[in-house]
Amino acid sequence: MADDFNTGDMLSVYLFENQQLLENLQNIVMEQKDADGFDEDSINEIFRTMHTIKGSSGIMMFDEITKVSHKLEDVFYFIRESHPTTVPHVELVEHVLDVSDFIMAEMDKLSDGGDADGDATELVASLDAFLQKIKGENGAKEADTKPVQKEETPKQFYIAPETGGNSHFFRIYLTYNPEIQMASMHAYKTVFALKKIAKDILYSPEDILTNEATSDEIVKDGFNILIKTDATEEDIREIVQPGYDLTKVEVYECTAQEFQLGFEAEEAQILIDLDSSVEEIEKRADAKEGQTDTAPKKKIAPGDFVIASKEPGKGKNLAKERPAKKDKASFISVDIAKMDQLMDLIGELVISQSVVLQNPDLKVPGLNLDNFNKAAGQMKKISTDLQNVIMSMRMVPLTNTFQKMNRIVFEMSRKLGKDVTFEMIGDTTEVDKNIIEHISDPLMHLVRNSMDHGIETNEERLASSKQEKAKVTLSAKTESGKVWISVADNGKGLDRGQIMAKARQQGLLEPGRSESSYTDKEVYQFITLPGFSTNKKVTEFSGRGVGMDVVVSNLQKIGGTLEIDSVPGQGSTMNLKIPLTLAIIDGIVMDVGDSSFVMETGAVREFVHVTEDMLIHEPDGRESVMIRGACYPVIRLGDFYELHDYETKIANGMMVLVEIEKNVVCLFVDRLVGKQEIVVKPIPKYIKKVKGLSGCTQLGDGSIALILDAAGLMEY
Amino acid sequence: MSEFDTQKDKYVTFQSGSEYFGLKIEYVNEIIVFQEITEIPESPEYVKGLINLRGKIIPVVDVRLRFHQEPIPYTDRTCIIVIRYEQMVVGLIVEKIAEVVEIPAENILPSPSIGKNDNAKSRFVSGIGKVGNDVKLLLDPAKLLGDEEAALVGHLNNEDESEEGEE
Repeated sequence: MADDFNTGDMLSVYLFENQQLLENLQNIVMEQKDADGFDEDSINEIFRTMHTIKGSSGIMMFDEITKVSHKLEDVFYFIRESHPTTVPHVELVEHVLDVSDFIMAEMDKLSDGGDADGDATELVASLDAFLQKIKGENGAKEADTKPVQKEETPKQFYIAPETGGNSHFFRIYLTYNPEIQMASMHAYKTVFALKKIAKDILYSPEDILTNEATSDEIVKDGFNILIKTDATEEDIREIVQPGYDLTKVEVYECTAQEFQLGFEAEEAQILIDLDSSVEEIEKRADAKEGQTDTAPKKKIAPGDFVIASKEPGKGKNLAKERPAKKDKASFISVDIAKMDQLMDLIGELVISQSVVLQNPDLKVPGLNLDNFNKAAGQMKKISTDLQNVIMSMRMVPLTNTFQKMNRIVFEMSRKLGKDVTFEMIGDTTEVDKNIIEHISDPLMHLVRNSMDHGIETNEERLASSKQEKAKVTLSAKTESGKVWISVADNGKGLDRGQIMAKARQQGLLEPGRSESSYTDKEVYQFITLPGFSTNKKVTEFSGRGVGMDVVVSNLQKIGGTLEIDSVPGQGSTMNLKIPLTLAIIDGIVMDVGDSSFVMETGAVREFVHVTEDMLIHEPDGRESVMIRGACYPVIRLGDFYELHDYETKIANGMMVLVEIEKNVVCLFVDRLVGKQEIVVKPIPKYIKKVKGLSGCTQLGDGSIALILDAAGLMEY
Repeated sequence: MSEFDTQKDKYVTFQSGSEYFGLKIEYVNEIIVFQEITEIPESPEYVKGLINLRGKIIPVVDVRLRFHQEPIPYTDRTCIIVIRYEQMVVGLIVEKIAEVVEIPAENILPSPSIGKNDNAKSRFVSGIGKVGNDVKLLLDPAKLLGDEEAALVGHLNNEDESEEGEE
């Protein structure tokens, strides 16, 4: 396709840039998916993004990508220029996501060395249809580009395409206690609460957020809401309950026509009912008709556009909750190999620093080192800062990973017909880049499980009279050197009975142990065993365990763990505990003979000084040690690795109790050196895999220590 | 490889036992003085362990042991030649570095094979270079670094790759 141009450099720049653009695009879309429409900034941003991708894809001669992005650009050009009023937002969101998926998939192919050979015809056609549709619906305006239209009949925007179905229309009158302050804020709170059940909502006065004077208006005339919803009158009354501030709530069902006419019709009706003569009513009606008829033909006047976009009520159609845009941080992309090199060099710098500062030449008695020590102190400070900076460079916030989950929830909730909200807490928590790459898949799995099996269907929720909306919460925090990520849902929770039955059937229960003696946690751990849910008989269950073993094994690869918590009928929580970084671990350094070993601090349970009489020698040469009534196998590292000059008398050495997932083994070492943060490095490929070793590191004095792999040692 | 390559036909030579060996200079990253080695368990005898090369941890191989020669104690003259071969960086402990010589291709004879299979050295030698009246045994890094068995297999695969350059 583009062989002549496909020099690696250009391609990688192309891929990298577009990757960033698309990620940004998806974030914008996901942020505003629940709003009624994109705000102006986002429309411009999406338009620009598509324009850039179109341009660069054109240069690279990836025709299909160019076509698709061009089409989407067209759609957004139309939206940007003509401000169409009836854009089905959810459909638009889906189109944007489809396009970004398509381009992402093509880019994946390219980065794997393939061709961008995907066929976008269908996608382009559907975009075309969509564009025609919104153009058609806003046709008259499109013809002579009339943003003014919006100003004329602002109430009619969001109704037409999806009227019908089971939707009901209600008119709500709220009367507020005249004594309360900021009635407009109260009114807004009500609107906000209703939005959750509303398919469409109109209210008057409109500019409650921006205009404080509306408070008085609301107190005086009451607050009017028109709502289109699937919910019933009771639901609405549930949300809007009278209290101190809200003195009266009136809810009336109305027709779609009335809804479309908005509040002006209502005024007209009131006029009819109260004091208008027939002539007046007719006149009014005529005037109103005339207005709507003539509006589309009205010529655009200079400044009209500006007025339209500044229209005070406009805010309500947009994502209000969106925080003000932060200043964009500027980034450069750096080859990770260079970062590693930098880190190596800094490590080396720290070591040579200690060589200089503790140089034996300085130990000459009678030397005045005051100035030297001052300078040395300054130097230490700088090198510590340097180390911190390089570590922070490797850290990336979880935001993008979490956004992907948001996307999954969004799509699955539509596909499964479950009405689910997604909440992210602490998505700015920073984690080492390597770790992020490893947790994305397990997280996706857990979120899918929650959506698919945890959350009940809407009907089930109704039946079990659950009030709150179905929700999946993804949260992250850092604590004691680990990242805690949890995926929580408020669905039906795990069924202990079913899991136990299944475990019994598969013979997973320990013989001679009563079933009631298993704690809930132990029971839930069963679902992480491989193949636990392959049995199709437990239908409500199948899938709950599918791939859970994969999740767990992926987590274990990066030293993470999974804990499951669940309350029947109230939901489940999956807690992931993951180390912040793979590059640096907190380790205990110990010596055996001439060699130094490091064991991750988290795996060390305790150090015990044992005597000969605590040892148990088995006939096959194995040794065990009895500590406080429990018996643990012993590995003498010196023997194990056939080292030289190591301590053989048990009383002179030290036992290190290492625990991994309830398995304990005792390592016998000569002596402990201390606790230290160490930079993990792989053992060079040239050396064959050595049992029980996971890497190596350099210690403060420049010597090399071998890192013991606790899980690996257990296998021997 | 271009004709103007300044590294062309250049060899780093070192002494091991009574013979001189040569390594194509393109494989050689640097030459460092001997430094302390951390032993690594479960490795062949000739793999002495790991060294810390400015923060990068690399394995080192004792060439004498690799050639099944008697080990001799390390001295001030002992050097480590850091070579890179196919992304692998390995240090070679040699008795003494000699010099860098130029051996044009026409002065290189194929390694003699007169059924002396027991001679460990010849298995690592890809050719014999003549420099004046001296001969240098030119080493094949693939066989030097590979397993005993893998070296034999590698011999078949690597014949054409001797032209392959590094940076």
